[in-house]
Amino acid sequence: MTLKVAIASFAHGHAMSYADLLNQLPDVEVLSADPDGASAPDPGPRGAELAAQLGVPYVDSYDELFAWGPDAVVVTSENALHRGLVERAAAAGAHVLCEKPLATEVEDGEAMLAACEAAGAILMVAYPVRFSPQYLRLRASVEAGLLGDVFAVLGTNNGKIPIGGRQWFTDPKLAGGGALVDHTVHCADLIDGLTGGAAPQRVYAAANRVLHQDKGVEVETGGLVTVNYDNGLLATIDCSWSVPDNGPTWGGVTLQVTGTNGSVEIEPFLPRINGTDPDGEVYLGIGENFDASMLATFLRAVRESGPAVAGQPPAAVPQPDGAVGVRTLRIVDAARRSATSGQPVDL
Amino acid sequence: MSEELAGLTVGLIGAGNIAHLHVAAWKALGARILVHSLEGAETMAEQYGLEVAASLDGCLAEAEFVDVVTPSATHKEVTLAAIKAGRNVICEKPLTLTAADSHEVIAAAAAAGVRIYPAHVVRFFPAYVAAHSAIQAGRIGDVAVARFFRQASSPAGGWYGDVARSGGVIMDLMVHDLDQARWMCGDVTKVYAVQNPPTVEGISPLTVAAHVTLTHASGAISHCRATWAAAGSAFQSGYNIAGSTGVLKYTSAADTGYAEELQDGGAAADLLIPANTLGESPYLTQLREFALALRGGPEPRVLAPDGAAAVYLAEAARASMETGRVIDMVTFDPTGAAA
Repeated sequence: MTLKVAIASFAHGHAMSYADLLNQLPDVEVLSADPDGASAPDPGPRGAELAAQLGVPYVDSYDELFAWGPDAVVVTSENALHRGLVERAAAAGAHVLCEKPLATEVEDGEAMLAACEAAGAILMVAYPVRFSPQYLRLRASVEAGLLGDVFAVLGTNNGKIPIGGRQWFTDPKLAGGGALVDHTVHCADLIDGLTGGAAPQRVYAAANRVLHQDKGVEVETGGLVTVNYDNGLLATIDCSWSVPDNGPTWGGVTLQVTGTNGSVEIEPFLPRINGTDPDGEVYLGIGENFDASMLATFLRAVRESGPAVAGQPPAAVPQPDGAVGVRTLRIVDAARRSATSGQPVDL
Repeated sequence: MSEELAGLTVGLIGAGNIAHLHVAAWKALGARILVHSLEGAETMAEQYGLEVAASLDGCLAEAEFVDVVTPSATHKEVTLAAIKAGRNVICEKPLTLTAADSHEVIAAAAAAGVRIYPAHVVRFFPAYVAAHSAIQAGRIGDVAVARFFRQASSPAGGWYGDVARSGGVIMDLMVHDLDQARWMCGDVTKVYAVQNPPTVEGISPLTVAAHVTLTHASGAISHCRATWAAAGSAFQSGYNIAGSTGVLKYTSAADTGYAEELQDGGAAADLLIPANTLGESPYLTQLREFALALRGGPEPRVLAPDGAAAVYLAEAARASMETGRVIDMVTFDPTGAAA
């Protein structure tokens, strides 16, 4: 059965990766729309021009996109605009893969979860690092008890400031904040997956704007977020945009997990070839494409579930689901409030 | 032996873990070592060819200065005895278990015209010296976000597990990185700390992690992570310091330029302290700098107030853990904080 998959917005750069991968899949028909692209202040192409470059069919409006009757919608708009598109997708009976973070406000995330639940639609959040072989092995080791009781985690998601291609990442309204919003959630998701959904209880965040002062951004560029979970686990996430503009690669994710019987550290984006070229240091990633595994998991669940039936839960609930999206969003929201108040926030 | 240190007699007080490294350094400097300890002095003297001082007073009387490597809770008492005897003191970190005690010791030393140098040896490790120099030279611009970590095979089965004696994982292990954070990022204005599992009735869990977030007057933020890890875990430390124009990264496990895999007869990994560095031992670098200073040379890179400041930060971390609040270092008064 051919699946009709819609891509709603090219605002997030990951849309390009998803479009490219979806295009290569047999039995998948793709249609895209990026009506806000024309007015975006981005240097690169958006809208019809980008769709043509990617080789994906394009329509000018979301009305046309949803009228097409997609089986599934990939939402890759600005963070603050996820809710509207996810609610539209749910209303149209389409399953949803939503770019992270799920939303900028917890209230929005909960509404999206409720909308998909009412529609019987899948809501999956695009956390691709979950699908890396390094993480899968770590999780298997934790589940097999090889680490003993896990009591502390240090996660880092450091990267270049994401303003080169897309200006909205540093817009406090559209993005919901800066580094705290952009980069806390990946590690929070990986920890959520290790604990089976432990609830954050206390969150402390220190943030500053020492990095990228030359760029005139209005959001935090550096941040350290410490979380106590209800199962006792202690975790800190460094979410800083601290990879310099001239770094050899965009950045990466690390997770250092300590248990009573030992520890594991993963760096999923590390496998690479080193060397030099005329521009300096070479950094050629040689790992698997985590986006491909994530999309495959989503589409498998969409096929298994068939058309959404209102009031009836989908047959397959792929992880990470909307509930993970809301839990990780709660951490971000608490971190933002803590950074403002200067004190930890109890949830 | 260097000429400046000819005829040196050091009084070594204590014969535990760190004493072995200090003995090696003093011997490399050609010093005569008089060891005094409640336990283990004879064994150590026999092992390294040292002389035993039967009493503390005897040791103080004969030594030119003393090197205090006793359990942390006795640093104050031993140091005050040395000051009373008019002897300069090199004291293992933490200088004392409370900032109030550190200040008392510093005041007593000043009154007696005696000097105290706290052995914050990480300031002598080449990787940390290199980062400090690069930051001072402006190589990475303004420091924005710094992370430091340190992990040791848990010593908490012994006296270290008694928080009244060791101060726990923050006072004993993280105190190195609290000092580094100050050294690299400047004075601290706010401290937030959490530990898991928590200390119960004064006894540290065997395996435990502490995470401390510092805000610095410069605007930088930093994170110190200290872990007493599963028994047998190799010692590790490292940092990641991001500044406005660059980043500096180091991990002790990966960045030595030497890797070995020996099937038989290989050296065991260091568990408690990072003894196995290539090049000159940082303990030797440290004790030479201290000894030369005590012989009239230039002041060393770390002084008693630095030791007191690190203890003060560790106390603030404990207060933060106890209250669940951020500690404002401008107003923090640790008097009354449990030792």
